[in-house]
Amino acid sequence: MIEALGYEFFRNALYAGLLASLICGIIGSLVVVNRVVFLAGGVAHASYGGVGLAFFFGLPVLPVTAGFSTLAALGMAWVTLTSRERADTVIGVLWAAGMALGIILIDLTPGYNSDLMSYLFGSILAVPDSDLWLMAGLSAAVLVLVALFSRGLLAMSFDAEFARSRGVPVRFLHFLLMGLTALCVVMVIRVVGLILVMALLTIPPFMAERRARSLPGMMLLAGCLSAVFCIAGLYLSYALDLTCGATIIAVACVGFVVSLAVPQRHRPVAPTQQGLLPNGSGA
Amino acid sequence: MNTPAIEISNLWFAYDGVRVLEQVNLRLPAGDFLAVLGPNGGGKSTLLRLLLGLVKPGGGGIRVLGLPPGQAGGSIGFLPQFTAVSASFPITVLGAVLLGLVRPGVTWFQGGAERKREREAALTALSRVGLAEHAGRRLSDLSGGQRQRVFIARAIVSGPKLLLLDEPTASVDGKSRQELMALLAELNHDMTIVMVSHDMSTVDGCVKSIACVNRTLHHHMDSRLTPLIFAQATGADLIAGCPVELLAHGAVPHRVVLDHDSPDCCGGGHAHGEKTGSGDGGRTS
Repeated sequence: MIEALGYEFFRNALYAGLLASLICGIIGSLVVVNRVVFLAGGVAHASYGGVGLAFFFGLPVLPVTAGFSTLAALGMAWVTLTSRERADTVIGVLWAAGMALGIILIDLTPGYNSDLMSYLFGSILAVPDSDLWLMAGLSAAVLVLVALFSRGLLAMSFDAEFARSRGVPVRFLHFLLMGLTALCVVMVIRVVGLILVMALLTIPPFMAERRARSLPGMMLLAGCLSAVFCIAGLYLSYALDLTCGATIIAVACVGFVVSLAVPQRHRPVAPTQQGLLPNGSGA
Repeated sequence: MNTPAIEISNLWFAYDGVRVLEQVNLRLPAGDFLAVLGPNGGGKSTLLRLLLGLVKPGGGGIRVLGLPPGQAGGSIGFLPQFTAVSASFPITVLGAVLLGLVRPGVTWFQGGAERKREREAALTALSRVGLAEHAGRRLSDLSGGQRQRVFIARAIVSGPKLLLLDEPTASVDGKSRQELMALLAELNHDMTIVMVSHDMSTVDGCVKSIACVNRTLHHHMDSRLTPLIFAQATGADLIAGCPVELLAHGAVPHRVVLDHDSPDCCGGGHAHGEKTGSGDGGRTS
């Protein structure tokens, strides 16, 4: 199966998968511990409006989608902060509105639109060099931003109320997180498509959360798991002639089930039992 | 140290046009241990948020440690209500305490010396709450009472002069509650403590004064529970009922409240010195 690496499209697919894994590990972990998975889903689907805009005006797809989904994400972040009670409903509306806008704009675009499905289900085998560079640039930007605000992001994720009392700009960090999620979604659209984005954003972090001892550890573990799923999914789809994005998700889901079956780390000895030991030895 | 820990004058606060707090006045001397009692929705937590500078008052003055709210930074330790921290959040006990030293702004670079100093401060705070040997464990492996002590360690790691606690004993069992109150009494030697609680059983020997908050604030410079305090704290009409019935005893030890038949029961008198007495033989319900 090594001969697959001889093809440029396959090498590019691997690079794209690894870049997406890196970013999904980091942003997915933040999304999961901040419980904004539904918001991330809204951003992912609304970003289809960006795809439609790019097609309609004949502009490059990734940059336009990145801009559009960032705006959608900031709008949703604003909604969650201002009308907390009905935030989920409003996000549901934006979710559907974005998708509808995308489809209508593509309908209105004259010409042949075979590429449409590739944004819904991914087109990892057709990633051109230019997109790879853009993905690398986005990854670098996400990494720098997360590193700069790492302590505030950790404090907000763990306990927003306490963080606020310490003067951490929780509002700003909430917007930042949603903006980063939008960039992440745009990258992953290339790999598995926006329908399947949620799986890559949630399954590896969920598996990593219970096994890591720190948030950076969770990000690292989630990134590695994600990379394993991407590589295994790519090779399987090549060997069995299956749709790439769906195969990657299928592998992730199998991993998810296996991780549920594998027993958890044992809880340490109960405090009372621990207390008995030194007493016994001291007597 | 003559600056009062808290000074509030003619404070009011409104939510959507509805006054939640009004005519609040309080002068809390340094070193006090104040229990803030009151019914749910009476404005206890709002008062705490005002002190922290998380919300702005509608009018009136607040000074915390002589400064406007939100300016005293690490001099104020805060324990939020038993937090909605997810049980599976990946963090060690030490990591959680270190978050008590978080400051606003970006992290450009943190030197090794600073890292070491913060680590030592966190370990000191953990040993004060009696959890030093658990520093490396995952927070989720601790019991509810232990976790609450970790959050107290996080509140005191910055060496605060004032400790603000929101329902510290909610959702911990009876034994942990006693241990927590003993710990707070010990911490009170070094810092002023303000504890919001809807649970009157927390008002024991270590509390030095009581404030009842129900739209407005009544400060009682005494920690004995009187029928008046019961009425203010439960939001009930003093005339309408006897405090014992209002509470249906609940978690309150029977010996701190008056007999049903006592002439003082609804008369605004004091619950006498029986609080510390041990002989309450024939008065079980």
